[in-house]
Amino acid sequence: MIHSDVIRGHLETIILKLILEKDRYGYEISRCIKERTNEQFIMKEASLYSIVQRLEKKGLISSYKGEKSHGGKRRYYKITPLGRAYYKEKLKEWQSLREILGMLLEESE
Amino acid sequence: MAKSKRNLGDVTGGIRMKQIENFVKHTFKDVPKEKRQEIIPIVTESLIEKVEDLMEKGYTEQDAVDQTVLEFGTAEDYFGRERPFAKFRRKTLKHYRNDFLFSLFGALIIIAMLVFTNLYYTGDIIWFVLPAIAVLWWPLAVLYRFLNKRVSERGEDNE
Repeated sequence: MIHSDVIRGHLETIILKLILEKDRYGYEISRCIKERTNEQFIMKEASLYSIVQRLEKKGLISSYKGEKSHGGKRRYYKITPLGRAYYKEKLKEWQSLREILGMLLEESE
Repeated sequence: MAKSKRNLGDVTGGIRMKQIENFVKHTFKDVPKEKRQEIIPIVTESLIEKVEDLMEKGYTEQDAVDQTVLEFGTAEDYFGRERPFAKFRRKTLKHYRNDFLFSLFGALIIIAMLVFTNLYYTGDIIWFVLPAIAVLWWPLAVLYRFLNKRVSERGEDNE
């Protein structure tokens, strides 16, 4: 199980990536993270909704009422052009971070 | 019949909504009003979506609500390190020190009364020591909390 502190700085990027793939609603994002990491990283939903709201405030995602579920209509999140640009930027940042960490932490043969 | 079924569904849906709403309100009760009013509707809506999802998977309504509440986390999880509510109701070191001083003076007054009663009425038997020791646990417990708080505040400053 990965501690959320390790991954905290990348949560926005992870959520943007999932919304970039397709429009998703809040709990779907949380479920998706859990499934894709084989439950090794379970994000507290409180953190998830906080980040989603922050992304919406920044104009990186927008929301709309989607299909009707069991009870009411779900709120879906959609990435904006600004969100796409931000995601690409963050992805580059992550790639260079991975390279740097590799240089510093991987055992040299 | 169909109408009564729908009404029953509305009623249980209303209860579900109320339970979730109460939980969210309670979770964010220490958050400043303006921020709270912004957060509560959106979080409530998201949690109701989750309850509905779980019910579609076969959970009973109460199980779905319980699971949702259990997995949500706390206001601290929501704000991370931001803590906009920290300065409102969070007890500071000064509060803990005042608590300690209050308990100390309180204990001293009680012990003084015990000593007076002991010496004035039954001066030949010294019995005030045992109740005085019991009373001393009060400031000692508060001092323990104060010192713990001081250590954790120092820890936060060093982070």
